[in-house]
Amino acid sequence: MSETAAAVRAEFTKLLGIRGTLVALLLFAPFSLLIAALGGWSAKGAIESDSPGLRSDFTPQQAGLDGVLYGQLALIVFGVLIVSSEYTSGMMRVSLLAVPRRGRLYAAKTAVTAAATAALAIPVTVVGYLVTQLALGPHGASIGASGVPRALAGAVLYLTLMSLFAAGLAATARSAVVPLAVLLPMVLAGSQILSVVGATKEVVRYFPDRAGMRMLTVGADDAYTGFAVLLAWTVAALALGSYRHHRWDA
Amino acid sequence: MEARRQSRPGTDAADETLDETHPVIDVQKLTKRYGRNTVVDGLTFTVRSGAVTGFLGPNGAGKSTTMRMMLGLTRPDAGSTRIDGRAYHELRHPARHVGALLETAAPHRGLTAADHLLWLARSNRIARRRVGEVLATVGLTEAARRRIGTFSLGMGRRLGLAAALLGDPPVLVLDEPVNGLDTEGVKWLRELLRAMAAEGRTVLVSSHLMAEMSLVADDLIIISRGQLLAGTSMSDFIRRHGRTYVRVRTAEPLRLHGELEKKGASLRLVPDGGLEIDGLSAAEISRLAAAVGVPLEELSTHTGSLEDTFLELVGKGGSDTHV
Repeated sequence: MSETAAAVRAEFTKLLGIRGTLVALLLFAPFSLLIAALGGWSAKGAIESDSPGLRSDFTPQQAGLDGVLYGQLALIVFGVLIVSSEYTSGMMRVSLLAVPRRGRLYAAKTAVTAAATAALAIPVTVVGYLVTQLALGPHGASIGASGVPRALAGAVLYLTLMSLFAAGLAATARSAVVPLAVLLPMVLAGSQILSVVGATKEVVRYFPDRAGMRMLTVGADDAYTGFAVLLAWTVAALALGSYRHHRWDA
Repeated sequence: MEARRQSRPGTDAADETLDETHPVIDVQKLTKRYGRNTVVDGLTFTVRSGAVTGFLGPNGAGKSTTMRMMLGLTRPDAGSTRIDGRAYHELRHPARHVGALLETAAPHRGLTAADHLLWLARSNRIARRRVGEVLATVGLTEAARRRIGTFSLGMGRRLGLAAALLGDPPVLVLDEPVNGLDTEGVKWLRELLRAMAAEGRTVLVSSHLMAEMSLVADDLIIISRGQLLAGTSMSDFIRRHGRTYVRVRTAEPLRLHGELEKKGASLRLVPDGGLEIDGLSAAEISRLAAAVGVPLEELSTHTGSLEDTFLELVGKGGSDTHV
């Protein structure tokens, strides 16, 4: 156990030392908060001008979660980079010399990815919600409004699972290019589909991001189903990544 | 501990306190294939403590692959490698046990030298002060806060050595550590390895240069095409393989040739018309030439370089094993 704890600590030290990976992680905060503020501010303008620019399903509660939905791009890049940077540099061999038990090294990296994401996602999700309500001014909702605490918790869980999903794909591919080429369009297109009511197809509902999105939908009755689907994707990606990591002839 | 060792001499392979005669690194019938290519072919050898062991072979002989298997990075197809009786991945806090340097194990370029050593220290519960100590040892104190991506080849090599030394390990496994070092660095490394061995550590160093090894190694393991050609002490190797011959020039090489062959010498006619003679001393040849009345124009004793001997051996081994 103490060796696993040491491996986790080493992974944290690495994370703090490798600038590109750390920047991707930290960018999540300004990116999310900026969009949270802009979204609230423009919605306020739309409400007050009575223009048709507002979505028909707009609620101030749901708008409070839009920031992190866009911010997740940074976390996905982070999830990919924290793994792929080891393979592209030859660092993975140094890591394996230091922690030769592959399961232990993989678990430590996964734990650090999850912990770093969650540690940042919790404050940013809460603050992002509050920023949007503040920008909405008199039209804003309370953080204690019905369904909101669960959606906020769901958002943190969603973000954490998405970055782990990305990390699992990167471990499977042992590179950054393919996972990023798959994940970024998927999430970007998925978010767009989300904004177009009724444009979802049956199969797309089971995509990891679309399913996971139910977790952070205020008042959704299928939040737990969405969680189960995203969890299954994440576990599958991590398992495949683990298999590839164990099989790697370094 | 003492009583136990006396009662079971040499059998307690897993014991951490081994006496000097016990092999520390034990490679048994190690085999690795890549497709149809057998890179390491039933390799068996041992490495003892208190000595520098040179692991020699031409490029592509399988040295790096052997070392990667030793360090648990690559899975052998057959055979095993043990360090103090255990597989590398079974070692607790391996960096405190084995210091490794491999060409392909490169730190992330975005890390500073100090941060790289810091995470390594944490992964194996090594005291943080060691980071500064090993940086000083390899002469990188000034560069501690610089990103590794800005390092020269030689600095990168020094950092790799610092990482290997971080856990103050009793065993060092270094793959071509000389590569990239400047003359001063090579001399420094040589002294470091000698000092490590003198402290009773086990030092395995690979190289494709016999000349370099002859300056630092006590023992030699020579491989070619994945197979063991020689496992011997350096002094034995020189005695057995260091070729001494006499060079002669004469106007009547054929007559001398016949006389020398009668004496059991082996001869070689070299392109410039001279003769290279093995098995007789210069004095004997001189007396023989005078007795048969052949005037000598040149008579000198030569010792073939170890590099030539090594290349000859490797060349022979190669052709013997792959007909």
